[in-house]
Amino acid sequence: MAQRTLRFKIRQDGRVEETVEGLVGDGCIELTEKLEAALGTVEQRKTTSEAFLRKEVQKQIIPAEIH
Amino acid sequence: MSHFSTVKTQLRKKEFLKQALIDLGYVPQEGENLVRGYRGQTVKAEMTVEMKQGGDIGFRFNEGTKSYELVTDLDLWKQSIPVERFLAQLTQRYALNTILESTTKEGFQVSEQKRNIDGSIELVVTRWDP
Repeated sequence: MAQRTLRFKIRQDGRVEETVEGLVGDGCIELTEKLEAALGTVEQRKTTSEAFLRKEVQKQIIPAEIH
Repeated sequence: MSHFSTVKTQLRKKEFLKQALIDLGYVPQEGENLVRGYRGQTVKAEMTVEMKQGGDIGFRFNEGTKSYELVTDLDLWKQSIPVERFLAQLTQRYALNTILESTTKEGFQVSEQKRNIDGSIELVVTRWDP
């Protein structure tokens, strides 16, 4: 059993900061992609230190329309 | 992989927009309705709130941005808060409802929800995976 944690900070202007913990591989992106699609435009996405602990090399595609 | 994202919230889903308006104490109406402005001028909108004071509030879907936009006669704005503040409150509520609904659907449970002094809302959801 592994615990997956999503942390959100919804700022007063409606901007959302989201931190995903405990998800390995692309599962983490898939899970939050749906959510981000309903919410709006992703302004920034960066991997946390946890991501660098994994052996396999990860790749992520960031949509071109980020602004 | 674990990551950190910042999302600029847009009002994309009608049902969450409607719920956010209800949460803020408004009575939204769905469907093509008219938004009344100065001297009885009107525009059509897909979601409307009839106001007792001042002009009505409406939301129109913008195909370009794929999101709903506020349409109202700003000269008739008589609400207790400025329009920017109203939109910010609405967007924050919309974001909260969207996150709660989407994560619950994915099997997450709320383990913490609090409002900070700066007005931001903190939400923590968790799920146990085999």
